[in-house]
Amino acid sequence: MARPDRRDTDQLRALTSVLGQLSRADGSAHFASGDTSVVCGVYGPVEAKLFDERLDRAHVEVKLRPDVGTPGTKDKWLEAAVRQTFERHILGHLHPRTLVQVSVQVRQDAGSLDACAINAAMLALVDAGVPLATMVAAATCAVLEDGRVVADPVAEEVEGARSVHTFAFAEGRPAEPVYVDSRGTFDMPEYDACYGVCAAAVGRVLAFMRSAIESKVTRESQVAGA
Amino acid sequence: MVAEIGPSNIETAFILEALGKGLRVDGRGIYDYRALRILCGPAPGMVEVQLGQTRVLARVTCEVTRPSADRPTEGTVQFSSELGTLAAPNLDRSVAQEVAIARMIERVIRQSRAVDTEALCIMAGEQVWAVRVDLHFLDHCGNLVDAACIAAVAALRHFRRPDVTVDGDRAVIHDPRERNPVPLSIHHTPVCVSFAFMGAQGELVVVDPEVREEMVQQAAFTVTMNAHKEVCALNKAGGVALDPAMIHRCTQIATTKAAEIIDMIDAALKAAAAASSN
Repeated sequence: MARPDRRDTDQLRALTSVLGQLSRADGSAHFASGDTSVVCGVYGPVEAKLFDERLDRAHVEVKLRPDVGTPGTKDKWLEAAVRQTFERHILGHLHPRTLVQVSVQVRQDAGSLDACAINAAMLALVDAGVPLATMVAAATCAVLEDGRVVADPVAEEVEGARSVHTFAFAEGRPAEPVYVDSRGTFDMPEYDACYGVCAAAVGRVLAFMRSAIESKVTRESQVAGA
Repeated sequence: MVAEIGPSNIETAFILEALGKGLRVDGRGIYDYRALRILCGPAPGMVEVQLGQTRVLARVTCEVTRPSADRPTEGTVQFSSELGTLAAPNLDRSVAQEVAIARMIERVIRQSRAVDTEALCIMAGEQVWAVRVDLHFLDHCGNLVDAACIAAVAALRHFRRPDVTVDGDRAVIHDPRERNPVPLSIHHTPVCVSFAFMGAQGELVVVDPEVREEMVQQAAFTVTMNAHKEVCALNKAGGVALDPAMIHRCTQIATTKAAEIIDMIDAALKAAAAASSN
């Protein structure tokens, strides 16, 4: 049976990104995977509120706003997921007593939103020049009712799926996931299959991010040189 | 949180002095509107407006609810506009500005009866459509009101709700894949045109103030017009007094600006319709 958008099982939707399109934010990224799209802006390092101030490192704050309605439990949960993914990879000790504020605005949720939010935040952090230990990217896959494992599921597929898994990996470390989220019922072979599909997909997302950043840097250096 | 520090005395003096000579900080003429881009889609009711560097995203959605007891035959249109932390670093707590924008948009669209709320009725006293407009401010570079208003009206016109058939006392809501969704009934397209008054007595006036101009302004004035050259709302909250001749002049400027903006909204919606039918 073909997928709703006729993709191969391990094929991602078309990835698009725009870096630095927001003028107020220190760094920003618009990241879209098919119709699922997210805008992320980063301010930082900036002055922290007294309450948030950490003596030895920067405080990382993530705010996520859904496309429709006020933020609910699901959004708060995703907010925490993004923060936990990046907290360990931001070199916060270089900027003690400051705040790195990551604002994620969902534009449209058409499935696999959590991976898209993590990827957008990653690009925005790079664009803002926040010191990072490594690049991180995420991918989602779903185990459908008939047992097929599909990468980057659309909303329709997520609805009818038996389980949905999101993994994030740091660049060059497919053996150490930095973020895992599995929902639904599944057995170990299914989990392993999803792990494999996502690890491969993350490799492609990271390559895409790298080329997006490279093309932006090249463009900027050309403007500076001219 | 970083407190927004207004422009320094030198910067303020520079803005005002330049304006006295008819020059603006971003090089525009005093009656020039910034470049406006309206992007519709891909989802129905999703519109992003770029006014210079200012960006606002509007999302329109709807759901079925029970009507209020005193208005059993009317649906509702609700606006939600929160200035998140994305648009500017200090906006987390600027509640006053947020409320002002939300009120303004609500007044402009609801009280000018731009949306036909009676057409949102499915069954009197039982079921009506509740339309929700979410405004997301992505980048605050001045004049959020105009950008938000354009985004909201364009999104309402771009939106399609599921079709409904009423059979006796039973309403059937058709899946969008089954039957083509229908547009909302919109009576007219009100758009805001904002002015900023600067200088001690507010003698220096500009259209579409950018963020630095908003910081030194003595008064803000917003005129809301539609394509029929009808004034839908005037808004001036505080600041220096303006004489009636000035208000009349602003209204006349707003007439031509509003006509241009509405033409651009029409063109953007037409382009979106052509793209989706292909």
